[in-house]
Amino acid sequence: MQVVVIGRSQVINSRILLCHECDLLIENQDVCEACKVQCPRCGHILYKQKHNTISRSLAYALTALICFYPAVTQPIMTLEMSGLSQQQSLISGSLILLQEKYYVVAILTFLSSCLVPLFRLLLLTYVTLSITLNYYHKSLIWSFRLFHEMEEWGMLEVYMLGIIVAVVKLLSMAEIQPGFGLWAYAALLLSSILATTVLNPHEVWDALLERKTREEPC
Amino acid sequence: MASKTITPVLPDKIITGKEAGLVLCTECHKVHRYIPDAEQECKCCGAELHQRKPDSINRTWAFLIASMILYIPANTMMIMNVAYFGVDEPSTIMGGVILLLQMGSHAVAFVVFVASVLVPLFKMIGIMLILFSLKYKVNMTDRQRIKMFRFIEFIGRWSMLDIFVISILAALVHITGVAEITAGPAATAFGTVVVLTMLAASSFDPRLLWDYKRNNYKNTELNQEPAAD
Repeated sequence: MQVVVIGRSQVINSRILLCHECDLLIENQDVCEACKVQCPRCGHILYKQKHNTISRSLAYALTALICFYPAVTQPIMTLEMSGLSQQQSLISGSLILLQEKYYVVAILTFLSSCLVPLFRLLLLTYVTLSITLNYYHKSLIWSFRLFHEMEEWGMLEVYMLGIIVAVVKLLSMAEIQPGFGLWAYAALLLSSILATTVLNPHEVWDALLERKTREEPC
Repeated sequence: MASKTITPVLPDKIITGKEAGLVLCTECHKVHRYIPDAEQECKCCGAELHQRKPDSINRTWAFLIASMILYIPANTMMIMNVAYFGVDEPSTIMGGVILLLQMGSHAVAFVVFVASVLVPLFKMIGIMLILFSLKYKVNMTDRQRIKMFRFIEFIGRWSMLDIFVISILAALVHITGVAEITAGPAATAFGTVVVLTMLAASSFDPRLLWDYKRNNYKNTELNQEPAAD
């Protein structure tokens, strides 16, 4: 096994990979364009060599951010019953639960359907835009870490399923009209999913750490 | 862009990073030399470095037991109350599924049943099985266990479905005197169950699954790991 120590630092030669899920030590010899490297023991994807994903991800993230405001504030559905009507938007569900004093549920829905997706989009835009503009700041490193750590707590796609179930439950007792918010929400969902799936995190880390090492070697 | 998947050859002698004295930064994927008995930070991205997640098994058990306790009120208490022209009609999680079945929407009833009954149950049993498999011999291959763990990690968030449905219904059906849908105490319990099971899955370190086998069958099965299927 060849371990190369670069300068005073403790980073090991980048050809040596450790699997995230089974800690297997692998020496990676194969370098090819557009390849995925898979762990031979547990099947985890160790590394993706997919390039030019940052600018595409930035485009999707910006689209999602534009859709965010109408998706949250505009009514997703309007219910009509006995001549009366009631509108619902992404944020009103949390507000109603807050009024009913179900604080845990209200905060949980607010976080997972509004705040975390918004925050992740902002972090993603910040990181990808900075890399595209060749700008570097220390905060980029923790921004991208935070983006990755909050991944499973943003639940926009689960909310989509929630809308479908709610519509089916109400169809028999009232009339439901889709609102502008629904289309904005669908666009937000689509572009934010694309922004995260298109992105290759390895490429972002390479770009960030390359810029960092210009200032202080790591 | 189509990408080819390449799988390096499994080495004859399997060495883990821990045995080689290395530690992987789980954030930026850099490999560092491990310094024992020291709080080590990744020089590149500043994340804490651990060869295995600290206290992984204890933390997972704690979250798991807490979620199992809360699973009982989540299923027995009222999750939602439908007041239709002044007549209250409280329902539990299962009650909601049965109501959907009676309305004839079998597909949606199935989705709700899977997301709010089967998924939490499967998660809790699955995590427990994985934890037991670290102590006792369980009739599962390593590949099956890691696949089950990945599946548990993936499905966890979909249980939030019921919580979202309640918040949508409560906001939409809010016409005083005619029809009003309000949340019930089980909603808090159920939301907490979802969060706790997600925390249980994320505090478990899958690398422990592979350590166990090596610690117990060091000489016999060391070089006989199953190849990729």
